[in-house]
Amino acid sequence: MKPITVRLTDIRKSFGGQEVLRGVDLAARDGDVIAIIGASGSGKSTLLRCIPLLEIPDQGEVSVGDAQIRIRDSGHRFSRAERQTVRRLRGQLGFVFQSFNLWPHMTALQNVMEVPLHVQGRPRAECREEAEAMLAKVGLADKFDAWPAHLSGGQQQRVAIARALAMRPRALLFDEPTSALDPELVGEVLRVIRALAEEGRTMLIVTHEMTFAREVSNQAIYLQDGRVEEQGPPEQVFLDPQSERCRRFVGMSRGEG
Amino acid sequence: MDIAFIAQIFPKLLAGLPLTLLLAVLSLLGGGLIALGLSGLRASSWIGARVADFYVYIFRGTPLLIQIFLIYYGLAQFPAVRHSVLWPLLREPYVCAVLALMLNDGAYTSEILRGGLRAVSTGAIEAARVSGMTRLTMLRRIVLPLAFRQALPAYGAEITSMVKATSLASVVTLMEITGIARAEVSETYRAIEIFLCAAAIYLVLVTVIARAVDWLEQHLSPYRRPTGARSLA
Ligand SMILES: Nc1ncnc2c1ncn2[C@@H]1O[C@H](COP(=O)(O)OP(=O)(O)OP(=O)(O)O)[C@@H](O)[C@H]1O
Ligand SMILES: [Mg+2]
Repeated sequence: MKPITVRLTDIRKSFGGQEVLRGVDLAARDGDVIAIIGASGSGKSTLLRCIPLLEIPDQGEVSVGDAQIRIRDSGHRFSRAERQTVRRLRGQLGFVFQSFNLWPHMTALQNVMEVPLHVQGRPRAECREEAEAMLAKVGLADKFDAWPAHLSGGQQQRVAIARALAMRPRALLFDEPTSALDPELVGEVLRVIRALAEEGRTMLIVTHEMTFAREVSNQAIYLQDGRVEEQGPPEQVFLDPQSERCRRFVGMSRGEG
Repeated sequence: MDIAFIAQIFPKLLAGLPLTLLLAVLSLLGGGLIALGLSGLRASSWIGARVADFYVYIFRGTPLLIQIFLIYYGLAQFPAVRHSVLWPLLREPYVCAVLALMLNDGAYTSEILRGGLRAVSTGAIEAARVSGMTRLTMLRRIVLPLAFRQALPAYGAEITSMVKATSLASVVTLMEITGIARAEVSETYRAIEIFLCAAAIYLVLVTVIARAVDWLEQHLSPYRRPTGARSLA
């Protein structure tokens, strides 16, 4: 078996008394593509955001590569050493947001170069070369000097994917990467993600694109009320789930699509 | 209008230009530091935020002229001030004027800075956070550049209004452009020519500054222009 790249252990999280995650375990091995599905409000985004500690769980353990953080209670304050570990953990992940979140004062190329150059401290020439290669890979070889505001949503999201790739992450996390896009722009972004899956990248993808999720993943997770309700190979979760609620959810989605 | 008289008065007024500029530059520098301090205070605690709010409330809510009078005439009323080591400084009208201008500018600038910081999208900050940036790198590379670009037009207006506000320093005997103009008027009684000349100097100053700020904004934020703007212009 391949080594585990991302592992969550007993993650719990409440917002103002409302329990959003009620003890979630998850392990992504090297090369896994895990699709995370579930109804709106089931805690998918919260779960994904707990991995780079954008949300701090009330309790649980997060480990990514060689970085590991354990949280015992909700009042947890990070020590200096822990804050450093959090940064090391984040440095091994590429996160792609629903709303792209490019830095508006930087060109596409500058966005992609920023972290390798100013956070990872790699040589400028190398950063530039790699950033250009990443942008070319997502089909934006002609947009190096474009400002985010002058790009379409699909193009912005592809820059965001290139930016995540340029960090040389061990795993990529996607939170509904196509939900903010016009329907005609969804395809170009899904194609890029599919190509990354074929390269053998480790990825966790929260999405409402059921067909895409089934085709691209080797494992799927159905979240319901902050718990993993169903988990297994995509053929099982999408086509023949054990859980009645999951069956209804994927059935409904198929009906819509 | 008497062209010969104007030609003669202009150089006299221009002699006050260096002092006008110095007052403006010092108060903007001091005001900028106060604004940074206030925004640190605001971020520090609830009490800190209330103190900063109160400061801004007082200095924006009262006339600058009264603030200058209070500092120039008012400080001398306190024996503690008169006997302090700072008294030789605080006795100087020049110091009092700069102090009042910078305290006032600090209040306005802190509000401008606050507006700029608030306009930095949480998305941009999250993207920085998730990439493993330290707080300092995030501030230096993402937050401040975006806040600065956002605040630039408002700050440009603050610069020009400070340049104009320096004319109030003439009431505490400073001989900057307005001070010289008043002295000349009391000698020659030719108020119209002299004050129009003074006004013209301020107008040129303000225009140059506004243009420079516009240029800087264009230069720093080309992405704010729609794609086609270059070809239309
Ligand atoms: N920062 C927050 N403060 C308060 N409540 C929150 C916060 N973030 C999420 N929640 C709540 O937690 C629950 C789960 O939210 P989450 O965004 O994880 O759901 P989701 O599965 O991603 O939904 P969607 O499909 O709509 O994106 C929701 O009820 C939401 O209102
Ligand atoms: Mg979500």
